[in-house]
Parts: sequence; structure tokens; C-alpha cells
Amino acid sequence: MRPTNVLVMTLALLLIIPSLGLAAASKATITLWYPGGDITAGVNDFVDPNLWAEFEAKNNVKVEAVALDYDTMKQKMFAAAAAKNIGDILFVDDTFVAAFVKEGLLDPMEDSKAKAWLAAVMPEIKLRSEYGKGKMWGYPQYGGDTYALTWNKEHFKEAGLDPDKPPKTWAEFREYAKKLTKRDAQGVISRVGYAFRHVGAASGIVHKHFWALEGAGARLVVPPDALRGGKSAFNNEGGKAALQLILDMIDVDKSTSLSFPDPRAAFLKGIASMQYSELVSIKARQPKEAPDLNWGFGPPPVRKPGDVPVTLFGGFIFVVPKDAQHKALAWKALEWLNSPEKDYELCKKNEATPRYRANWEKEPFKSTPYFQTLKALYPGAVVFPINLGSDGVVEAVGAAIQKAWHHEASVEAALAEAERLANKAIAEAAK
Amino acid sequence: MTRARRRSLRQVLTRLSSRHILHAYFFIAPVILLFGIFRVVPSIQTLLYSFYKVELLRNRFTFIGLENFSDLFADEIFRGAALNTLKYVLTIVPISAFLGLVLAVMFNTKFHLKEFFKAVYFSPMVTSTVAAAMVWWWMYNPQFGIFNVLLKLVGLPSQPWLMSSRMALPSIIIFSIWKNLGYNMIIYLAGLQAIPPQFYEAATIDGAGGLSRFRHITIPLLAPTTTFILIYNSISAFQVFDQVFVLTSGGPANSTNVVVLDLYRQAFQRFNFGYAAAEAMVLFLFIMGVTILQYVYSKRFEVAY
Repeated sequence: MRPTNVLVMTLALLLIIPSLGLAAASKATITLWYPGGDITAGVNDFVDPNLWAEFEAKNNVKVEAVALDYDTMKQKMFAAAAAKNIGDILFVDDTFVAAFVKEGLLDPMEDSKAKAWLAAVMPEIKLRSEYGKGKMWGYPQYGGDTYALTWNKEHFKEAGLDPDKPPKTWAEFREYAKKLTKRDAQGVISRVGYAFRHVGAASGIVHKHFWALEGAGARLVVPPDALRGGKSAFNNEGGKAALQLILDMIDVDKSTSLSFPDPRAAFLKGIASMQYSELVSIKARQPKEAPDLNWGFGPPPVRKPGDVPVTLFGGFIFVVPKDAQHKALAWKALEWLNSPEKDYELCKKNEATPRYRANWEKEPFKSTPYFQTLKALYPGAVVFPINLGSDGVVEAVGAAIQKAWHHEASVEAALAEAERLANKAIAEAAK
Repeated sequence: MTRARRRSLRQVLTRLSSRHILHAYFFIAPVILLFGIFRVVPSIQTLLYSFYKVELLRNRFTFIGLENFSDLFADEIFRGAALNTLKYVLTIVPISAFLGLVLAVMFNTKFHLKEFFKAVYFSPMVTSTVAAAMVWWWMYNPQFGIFNVLLKLVGLPSQPWLMSSRMALPSIIIFSIWKNLGYNMIIYLAGLQAIPPQFYEAATIDGAGGLSRFRHITIPLLAPTTTFILIYNSISAFQVFDQVFVLTSGGPANSTNVVVLDLYRQAFQRFNFGYAAAEAMVLFLFIMGVTILQYVYSKRFEVAY
């Protein structure tokens, strides 16, 4: 061999050997994709460098959290899955799961682990975890999104109402809203008794009126746990009453108005006395946006005395894509993060609600009024239907709500049209 | 390859080389290549997908013929989106062209701070649509927005703007006109400045008034510019998306849903790629049809000077 060739080969070996050594010693990196920003406020620990420290040390891995924009994360995840370049763990909205399952994007959880989880968690967590016959696709987050009625205690006092007693029935709710409404010198409403969502994404509109719809006996899809097939059941007496309730508050009572489109912002600005939304969002935003706000929360009102207040319970869920690079490690990491011990530790640290029944027996969850009030909401907790056609159903119901409240169709006509579109969406998704 | 063939190939190459045809192709090759990869291939792929049920993650493509198209025409949400798109195009194209012409005529005269005002009118064109739409979203806010504040000042009732199914589309159209006006103005201004002044001088000597000069000289001689503006504005109006996405997301009650938004939802929210491809093809055919129609019709008014 010529000396030049020897020199070239030696140099090449010198370059290759250290990189081979480095490769052998380097850790596997598990990537976790989650929505950044306020959307997961209150439960978003992924930026904490110590969150995974113990797991990383035990398993010689690195967990890297990657923030995505919530509004576009669904399509980004899908595109990444199509390119076989997706994160190992996804922290996604519950409502994404049906579509991901339909497309075959997710890896199912092992049956034995699913069984153990379902046996140990609270009933409302079980509702969010199970996709028919004990099947699970991931772990619902701790401190899920519990929807609740929130009210401004100072406004209540000012209107001569007991600040610790929210309206219990629809009739009371209408009376309270009337008393709480304020007008300016020209008679224009400057503060609404109740602010409601009627613009933006259909899902947001439906979520925020879920309490009245479901509470009155309307169902988006029946049976609620059917992944395919079924039919809508909201075009009934209950559904009509739920839409008419707000319409009467706009037109008859004049205790609310279409001019307050963002209920949470209106509530935090003090121009709405009551609103219904994810509690965690008000809890996270209030210290920053309205530090002096004195507010309370509780179950939404019921149609008639004796009914159980119905509230929406949803949130985010940890799932593992079928094409994850480190699938086994990802499941291991999730098992660790969602263990009873970590559930207790993280919920205590973040003032969030635990998922394990056993953890509710420990302090501060056992006796703190905040947690107990939240716990009192759970018997009426309803989760969003998992049907593959839910997207279309929600679009249809959202449009019906808007048409009725914007006086562009009667409640009957709006719901009849929505029923037809919803059933079509359910049938098409089942194909 | 026979020797004769090799020789003939060499001759062809030599001829092409001597005329610099090969060099020309070499220089435009990167553009052709990139255009092919990012435009032509996806377009062909979209055409093919429109005849299939596409399940990307399962890598399953089921040929279903024209089923996506028949579903499309039976889908009232798509029909509503197509109608909204048509309303949008038919409103925005003539209005923004007309206002652009009016502004161009005004800016074709001399006045104080002319260049500054020209820049002011053109600035929306260079502003990001998403950023501008966010600002307009606040301006349309029924509670705090400036439009309702102004209406109140003149004693008129507040309007729901984007909150109402009846007013949302007109509100988006107003925004889009504001956004496009500057571009049309500049193109018309260039067209106006290209008209030889002798025509106006001759007409003035013949006793033609300002309006007559505008009708009989300016408008006919601006016909090629108008054709360009109508075609360009129609194409971009048919593809409207950003402002609708930011301002209303297609609501309330689908009253501002447009074809591209519906296509986006079908493809990236419901993963119905075949169906979305069919929507894209229908939109493509529509744009092509309108463009050909405008082009052929405008030939009648073609002028040379």
C-alpha cells in the first residue's frame, strides 16, 4: 500500500472511532410533543427540567419536550406520522383521539395495564380513559378540564345576592342574571348577568353549552361510547329547551347579549357576572389578568329541582403513536409518570385533581374546600362522545346554536337541520 | 447504438450547443426542477387522489372513481362554501378594481405629500394578512372595537360585525378590499402613466371634456391593465383563506366558510384527503374556466398604441 493511502485510511479511522464510541455511549431520546402556551395552563409541567430526572437516571434516557401550537398540532402530528417522523409521546386533546384511532395512528395500551388503571382511578377518569370494552389508547392527564359555573362574588353582593350561593335551577339562573345585568345611561348593556360563547370554533360553542344541552336530556350521539355508528339525539324537547333558555335571556330577560363574545375575558374584565367554562383556565388566568377578582365556582344550574347538574369533563391525554421510534420506552415513561405516586406528587404541587381513588383519601385533596367543591361536580361529569363522526356532529350543533341565538332560524328549524347533518356525519364516518 | 445513430445524436447535440439551447436549458434547470417537484408533482398527485379514498397512514389507496365528486356536489356544506366563495369573488373583484382605478386617477395628478399617501395606501399590501386580520378582529369587536365606537359617535346603533351570520362575510370583504386596494392602485397607476399624453392633448384640442377623455381614452387604453387586474384578483379571491381562518374560522354557522377553508378542514382536520383533493380539482377547474373566459372576452378590448 502506498504511503498516501495509509495516511488517508489512518485519518479516516481516527475520525470514525471516536464517533462510534460516542454513539455507543449516547442516551436514547424520547420526544414528547405537547401544546405550548396557556392551553394547558395549570397542568403543564413539561418545561420543568426535573420532571423526568428520576426516570431519565434510572433508564439512561433523555426525555425532550417539544412545544407545538395547539391550533395546528393535529395536522402537524398527522403529517409527521405520514412521514414516519413523529414524537414518541403525544399529549393531545381528548377530542383528537377518535380521528387518530380512525387513521390507525395510535398504539393501543396493553390490556393488562388498561385493566389495572381502570380499576384504580376515579369513575370520571374511567369515563375519559375507556374506549369501549376496556380498551385504552393512553393516560388522561391529571387535573382534567372540569367545566364549572364561575361567578363574581362582588357583583352578587352588589345585586343583593348571597355570594356563596350560585343559582341552582334554570329559573333561579335567569332571575340572578337579570339582577346582575347593568346598563349605561343610554340603556345599553354594560355588564351581562351571564356571558356565553357563540362565536369561534364550533367545538368551543358546544362545550360551553354542554351543561344545558346534556342537563336537559339532549345527547350529541347515542350510544355515547360507540366509536362507529349510532345516531344523534339532541333534536328533542330537552335540546330545544336548552337553546331556548339562552334565547329567552337575550330577548325576554335582556340579561345577556351577543356583544360579549368571549365569556372568560368578559368575566375577568368584570363585565360579565357569570360564565361557564374550563375551571383551570380561569384559575390560571385570574391571578395575572384580574388579581383583585373575588370569584366562586360551582356546578351549573339544573333544569328542575332534583336533577343532577351535568358538567363537561375533558382535557388532554398522553398517547403513543404506532410509528414512535422508542415505543417501549415511551410506554414505560408514561407508566412512570402516571403512577399513583407521581399522580399524588404532581397534583399536590400543581393544585390539580388526582386521578387515583387512593389519592383522594390523602391531604390536601381529602378536605380542602377547593378540591371538595371540584369533587362534588364529578357525579354529573359527562365526557365528550368518542364517535368517529363527532367532529361533524359538533359542527352541526355549533351551527344550530349560532343560527338560533343569532335569530337566523327558529330553534326547531336549526335543530332539525343540525340533526340531519349530524346523522349524515355519523354515517359517513362509520364507512 | 449504431455508429450512424451515434453520429446523428452528436450532430444534434452540437447544433443545440452552438445555438446555446443546451446552455439555456442548463440555466433554467434549477427553476424547472423545483417547479416540477413542488408544483407539478403535487398537482398531479392531487388529481389522482381525487379519484381515491386515501388513507395515508395505512398507505391504502382505494380507487372509487367519481365518488368523491358526487359526494361533493351532494354536500350542502361544500355547496354553501362554493356559494360564499362566489359571493366573495363577485363582490371583491369589481369593487377593489374600481376603487383602485379611482385612487390611481387621483394619484396621477400632482399634489402635496402624494408619495406619502401612495405609501399609506400601499402599506396594507405589504402587511402580513394574518397580522392585519388580528388587528381588524379587534376593530370589529362589538364591545371595544373602533367601528362600533365610531358608529356610536354618530348616533348609529352598534353592529355585530363578525358575530352575525349576515354581516360576517361583508365584514371579511371590507377587510380584503382594504388589503388589496393598494396593489390595484399601483398597477392602474403604471397603466395610466403608460398612456401617451398625445391622445389627451389631441382630445382636448378637439374639445373633449375630462369625463369624455376618461371614458373614451383612459378606460379603453387601460383594458389590458384591467384584464390583468380582474384575472389576478379573481384567482386570489377564489383562493381566499387566511383572513377567513383568522377572523371567523368559517363561522358563524358556516356563513363565511369558503372552498379553501373547507378543503383544509377536510384534509387536515378530518383527514379526508381524497375528498379534499376533489374539492381542490373543482376549484382549479373553476379558476381556469373564469380565467379563460376573462382572457377571451378581454381580447375584444385589446388595444395597441
